[in-house]
Amino acid sequence: MRAETNHLNARAIAAWSAACLVVVLATTNPVYKTLVLAAALAALVAGAGFRRTRRLFIAAMLVAAFALVLNLVSAHLGATVLFTLPGQLPAIGGPYTLEALAYGATGGVTVAAAILAAAPFSLLLASHEVMDALPAALSRTGAAVAAALNLVPAVGATFVQVSEAQRMRGWRPRGPRSWAEVAVPVVLTSVESSIQLAESMEARGFGSGPRTHMSPVRMSSQDWVLVVASASAVALFALSIAAGWAEPWAAYPLLKAPPIDPRPLIACLLLFTPALQWRSRS
Amino acid sequence: MAIAQLDRFTYSYPGAASPALRNVSTRIDPGLTVVAGPSGSGKSTLLRVFNGLVPHFHGGRVSGVATVAGLDVLATPTRVLARNAGFVFQDPELQMVYATVDREVAFGLENAAIPQREIAARVSEALHEVGIEHLAGRAVRTLSGGERQRVALASALAVRPRLVVLDEPTSQLDPDGAELLLAAARRATADGRAVIVSEHRLSRLMPGADSLLVVDRGCVTEADPAAWRPVAAMPAPRLRPPGDEAWSVSGAAVGFDGVPVLEDADLAGRAGEVIALAGPNGGGKTTLLRLIAGLAAPMSGRVTRPSGRIAYLPQNPVALLHRQSVRAEVQFTIDRAGGQEGERPERILGMLGLAELADRYPRDLSSGERQRAAIAAVLPGTPQLVLLDEPTRGMDLASRSALIELVSDLRDRGAAVVIATHDEDLQAALADRVVDVAGGRVTERAPHEVPA
Repeated sequence: MRAETNHLNARAIAAWSAACLVVVLATTNPVYKTLVLAAALAALVAGAGFRRTRRLFIAAMLVAAFALVLNLVSAHLGATVLFTLPGQLPAIGGPYTLEALAYGATGGVTVAAAILAAAPFSLLLASHEVMDALPAALSRTGAAVAAALNLVPAVGATFVQVSEAQRMRGWRPRGPRSWAEVAVPVVLTSVESSIQLAESMEARGFGSGPRTHMSPVRMSSQDWVLVVASASAVALFALSIAAGWAEPWAAYPLLKAPPIDPRPLIACLLLFTPALQWRSRS
Repeated sequence: MAIAQLDRFTYSYPGAASPALRNVSTRIDPGLTVVAGPSGSGKSTLLRVFNGLVPHFHGGRVSGVATVAGLDVLATPTRVLARNAGFVFQDPELQMVYATVDREVAFGLENAAIPQREIAARVSEALHEVGIEHLAGRAVRTLSGGERQRVALASALAVRPRLVVLDEPTSQLDPDGAELLLAAARRATADGRAVIVSEHRLSRLMPGADSLLVVDRGCVTEADPAAWRPVAAMPAPRLRPPGDEAWSVSGAAVGFDGVPVLEDADLAGRAGEVIALAGPNGGGKTTLLRLIAGLAAPMSGRVTRPSGRIAYLPQNPVALLHRQSVRAEVQFTIDRAGGQEGERPERILGMLGLAELADRYPRDLSSGERQRAAIAAVLPGTPQLVLLDEPTRGMDLASRSALIELVSDLRDRGAAVVIATHDEDLQAALADRVVDVAGGRVTERAPHEVPA
């Protein structure tokens, strides 16, 4: 498989994804969070190509925008009022502040970065590559992992089939409720596909005991570089927090520029390592 | 010495009112055993007993005794039985785990903890046994359906099980792919191994069969394979000649992401005419159907269609099915189509032998029953253009006869019909013209007279 896919292995990717998640969740600073988001996006584009990454990026941005709007509408805190809706309006009435906007945007960046950091498992790796990377003690879990990962591409293919079939029966998209006629069979079909894969794996003896490997997974020097870079990023960022170099940032009560220190900044930049290593598989 | 044996074995799926297998007693000896029977009779359930998927994976209630290679099926997990019972599923798409052929064949060996130094030799041996040594190292996604099924068979054989089970393995294959797979299955009976194959199209299989099990409503009876005679579906007589041109494809190219699958396609059909699209897996039949349906836009050229309703059966029937009952699926289409005067679901359900299943949840049905439910869901009323993609997949003879009658009725009511199918019996029974779709080209076979 290494010869065919010619990219980093699942364990190295797992180390990098974990490092991204640790950094983005450990800091409140929007600059560092944005850097992690940029690192994840750059890695995906390098590994999967722009076309395959685009849809996921748009989806992540939509989730981020939702988080931003939700906070802006629901948190009427902060000193810098942008505009005010009448207080009589239920739920949405009150002052809309720059601080709520900034806090919501930071939350959105966090969610988007987390999505993109975890994306290589479905976008860059085949389910068997993840299975091969699991420790022997987790071999049974591998069946569930493979079935779950199989669900991701299956959903896309099924969506096309189902929407075409329903269109030919007269279905037309008219508002959110009409999509249930497509969404329900898509979900059911995708789940059935994954169950059939799991059934096939069970029938072929998966999980019956310790496995051997035709081609054991080995870490290349590039894989080790990524693992070391990821571990260094986490260690340096943790040290930065402990030493006060990565000061916490709060949007409220008055918005101010987030502090930037070169040491946590370097930790974030280390997460760009896969963007320099990965070759496009698109 | 029997390799597998069932003794008064009864099984019910979870929540089912009646058993799927009833008091089955049979033995499987070395050689080729063919399992036949109508759709939904319990064939797949029976086959899944031999590797313990029934009951270990599916749950449910069991009584009686089942043994495989001396192991008690009820007391032995499927993953352990896998070393004695290899299994090939119906759908080649849904059983592949690895991305390359040799890794895929090695999967079962890895699970059985065969030492690494032996795996490569065992993989080569299995590929040779099935006649696909040339596929070693190929990416699975580049294989045809027939090649994938042979890879699945090689994967099963690599573990050197005493029993190999194939569940309708040719239902999605073109004739050449099916023939190669079944020849490989027959060869696998060497060395005292038992091979069980469930099939609806028995003519290729029966000449080499050592025993025949007939499953009907969960009961299994043994029959003499030598006494089996082929039965073909009968064509329905045409009541009126074809009318004017109803649809056409002129100089069309169609494909994906700017890469054409078909080029310079020219084809037209008349009202009341049935055209069969033949050709190998991956030849472009489905793409041509989608072009005619309007689901794929031509990259060049022109497509015309009738103004009325187009009925389209996709290759994957479950893409259609999402209502709570088979009847509701049919009613849904009738309502969406504006409804023919007096059209009721019962008419088409009766024609397709689905009356007893009308209130069942469609996804709980067997694959052949699902296929019929999907056909019932797209063909009520009076569509002007009928496009069917492999409509006889998983269907027994009675169901195919019912389909032929239904399509003939639509044809005689003026519908233009296009059927993509590997089923040569269906082509012979229904098609006014057969068109080969292969290698990016659409080529009409030598024309024969359309009966007036």
